[in-house]
Amino acid sequence: MNNIWGLIKKDLLNLSSYKTSLLILIIFCAIAIGSTGTITFVPIIVCAITGMIALSTFNYDETSQADKYILSLPVTRQDIVLSKFILAISSTIIGALLGFLFTIFLVNILNIIRPDSLITLDYNNLLTTTIGAMFGISLIQSIQIPSIYKWGAEKGRIQMFVLIFVLVVLILGISYLVMNSNFNINLEDIENFMNKFGIITLILAMIIMYYISFKLSLKIFKHKDY
Amino acid sequence: MENNIELKNVSKEYPGFQLKDISFNVPKGSIVGLIGENGAGKTTTIKALLNIINYNGQIKIFNKDIKEGEKNIKQDLGIVLDDSFLSDYLTPKGINTIMKNLYPSWNSNKYFNYVKDFKLPSNKLIKNFSSGMKMKLKIITAISHNPKVLILDEPTSGLDPIIRKEILDLFRQYIAEDEERSILISSHITSDLEHISDYTIFINNGQIILSLPTTDLLENYGIVKCTEQEFKKLKKDDYITYLKGKYHYEILIKDKNLFTKKYAIKTIDKPSIDEIMLLYVKGEK
Repeated sequence: MNNIWGLIKKDLLNLSSYKTSLLILIIFCAIAIGSTGTITFVPIIVCAITGMIALSTFNYDETSQADKYILSLPVTRQDIVLSKFILAISSTIIGALLGFLFTIFLVNILNIIRPDSLITLDYNNLLTTTIGAMFGISLIQSIQIPSIYKWGAEKGRIQMFVLIFVLVVLILGISYLVMNSNFNINLEDIENFMNKFGIITLILAMIIMYYISFKLSLKIFKHKDY
Repeated sequence: MENNIELKNVSKEYPGFQLKDISFNVPKGSIVGLIGENGAGKTTTIKALLNIINYNGQIKIFNKDIKEGEKNIKQDLGIVLDDSFLSDYLTPKGINTIMKNLYPSWNSNKYFNYVKDFKLPSNKLIKNFSSGMKMKLKIITAISHNPKVLILDEPTSGLDPIIRKEILDLFRQYIAEDEERSILISSHITSDLEHISDYTIFINNGQIILSLPTTDLLENYGIVKCTEQEFKKLKKDDYITYLKGKYHYEILIKDKNLFTKKYAIKTIDKPSIDEIMLLYVKGEK
């Protein structure tokens, strides 16, 4: 475990250059909420940014051609892949927590500064949005990490966009076929199910996605030559 | 003699290149130089040694198969790769933080003493380092956990003579500290290896052309310069290769003493490893 922590430290030290960007993000969110009164996008933005920052560690390794050197250190290929997933998953969770808490903090500050135009905070809505944001970024990470192991950080990003495009087309195609068929869908049932089990379903889906992505990444990385 | 590294029939195939049945040992207490022109297979051999690439054959380090005990074996290896290191967005101080977790025997005091001795700024990003400073950092990172074996891929390439001397002195000091230690060093700057290596292994086109003690190579091998007439009198078995020059022939021979006993030619030069390499690669048989 010490070795994995060493690899994570390497990535965190690389990311220390993002300190300024995060400060700019906080200021941007504060201004956006203040001017529009909309709060739902904050967890989405924060979660997306922290999740993408975690993925950028692959770029640091690739541009410095560090892969070979990292493989020569006393770590296994599984340690390397595991460290990337721990960082990716942690970044999603931390992003969600930050986004959630930051929204509450900002709304309260704004309500103190502007008592004449109070913003009402719907905690259920905020929680759903946050979990939804986590799901979105974990889907991107789950697709992108194996893509990067297969094609490299630069090409992997292009492949990821292609995959997302294919997924969107597939989902839209299925929806279109379902809408135009005689198949009856009870939207009320779906809504009830989502209200009761939506969050649990999303969390389970995230766990499954990360697990499949990890196994796939490991399989690709174990057979890769540098 | 006990070996720290043993390679047996190691092969690897890439499109357009093949490493063919590489076998050699790195004995304890010795410095082994791996020489050859660019693209000859030196780096591929080192990559196989470190299990960075898939290969056929067997590689044992400290008497254990690298594929089986990789993690433990690598704790006792110090690695310098020519074209790869940690990210340029780290500082020497950051590297110490990382390595403490990766090597149980990492010695921070030793590391920072080297950083100080080599006049490297500990808080500056590596991207701002010159190539000489970066190589020094790679080397001190490789030796600060007291490894039993150093594996160095082109550690002196692109460096000026003063820095090269400093680095070679560091290797000499490292090997002198403990007679169980070994160094495997690949380089195309053969003059460096002439001074420090105990054994020389010459790889060409993915094959080992020669493997012998460096003193044997420098003392016994010779370059004969003779006329065409003299050359025609030589038996093919008595020389390795020859190069036809404008005015004379240059002939690489394996045993100077034997040659002088057999032939009347007395002008035999003591060759450098560079000249031997050149005649092996460019010469005819």
